[in-house]
Amino acid sequence: MKEVLAIIQMNKMEGTKDALEVIGIPSITVYKASGRGKQKGLQIPHPSQLDPSNKNMKFIPKRMISVMVEDEFVPAVVAVITKINRTGNYGDGRIFVCPVEESVRIRTGERGSVAIS
Amino acid sequence: MGCCRMKMVRAVIRPEAVDKVADCLEAGGFTALTRIEVFGRGKQKGIKVGNVVYDNLPKTMLMLVVGDDDVEKAVKIIEDGARTGNIGDGKIFVTSVEEAYTIRTGMRGL
Repeated sequence: MKEVLAIIQMNKMEGTKDALEVIGIPSITVYKASGRGKQKGLQIPHPSQLDPSNKNMKFIPKRMISVMVEDEFVPAVVAVITKINRTGNYGDGRIFVCPVEESVRIRTGERGSVAIS
Repeated sequence: MGCCRMKMVRAVIRPEAVDKVADCLEAGGFTALTRIEVFGRGKQKGIKVGNVVYDNLPKTMLMLVVGDDDVEKAVKIIEDGARTGNIGDGKIFVTSVEEAYTIRTGMRGL
């Protein structure tokens, strides 16, 4: 089992959800996240920041989606998320693949791969 | 696979410490991070004020993925930045990450 964690642009959320559903992975968890990458955030004045010495927007609003899948589906999920979210601009996001040891379906108590299928 | 091993550092810290920690991390070379607003409690079971127990305390989770060699440094920076010495300063967790992709380029690695 693996967890695919993708940090993406907010406006790609619907498209990503639909595309994952098409390849048969409808179950996802979405987090409201904000963050920045190598570019240190947006280097423009942010309207809510009244301090003129602070010219950049340190945290950009994002969405983080977490998809739990079996090992063999990881390349497909990564490919789909990449395809939908790539615009070629900075800020398209990151995908991380992390190992998961156990999962439990709370309703039935099923464990392991049955719980996420 | 030619790319270095990575770890995810997740720190649950006080919301008011975020700016300081983020600045310290940037100074230490870790510019990329994700911030998530979370609620939680620790082993003190929240805060009790009079008869009311507050056990969903607002916290901020900072998440960053770094190479294996940088984990100690990142943890140290977060620790130093977020410490006030009181209960509720938070926790730091380190988990493993197997792969990372940049969506803009589709390239593997950090």
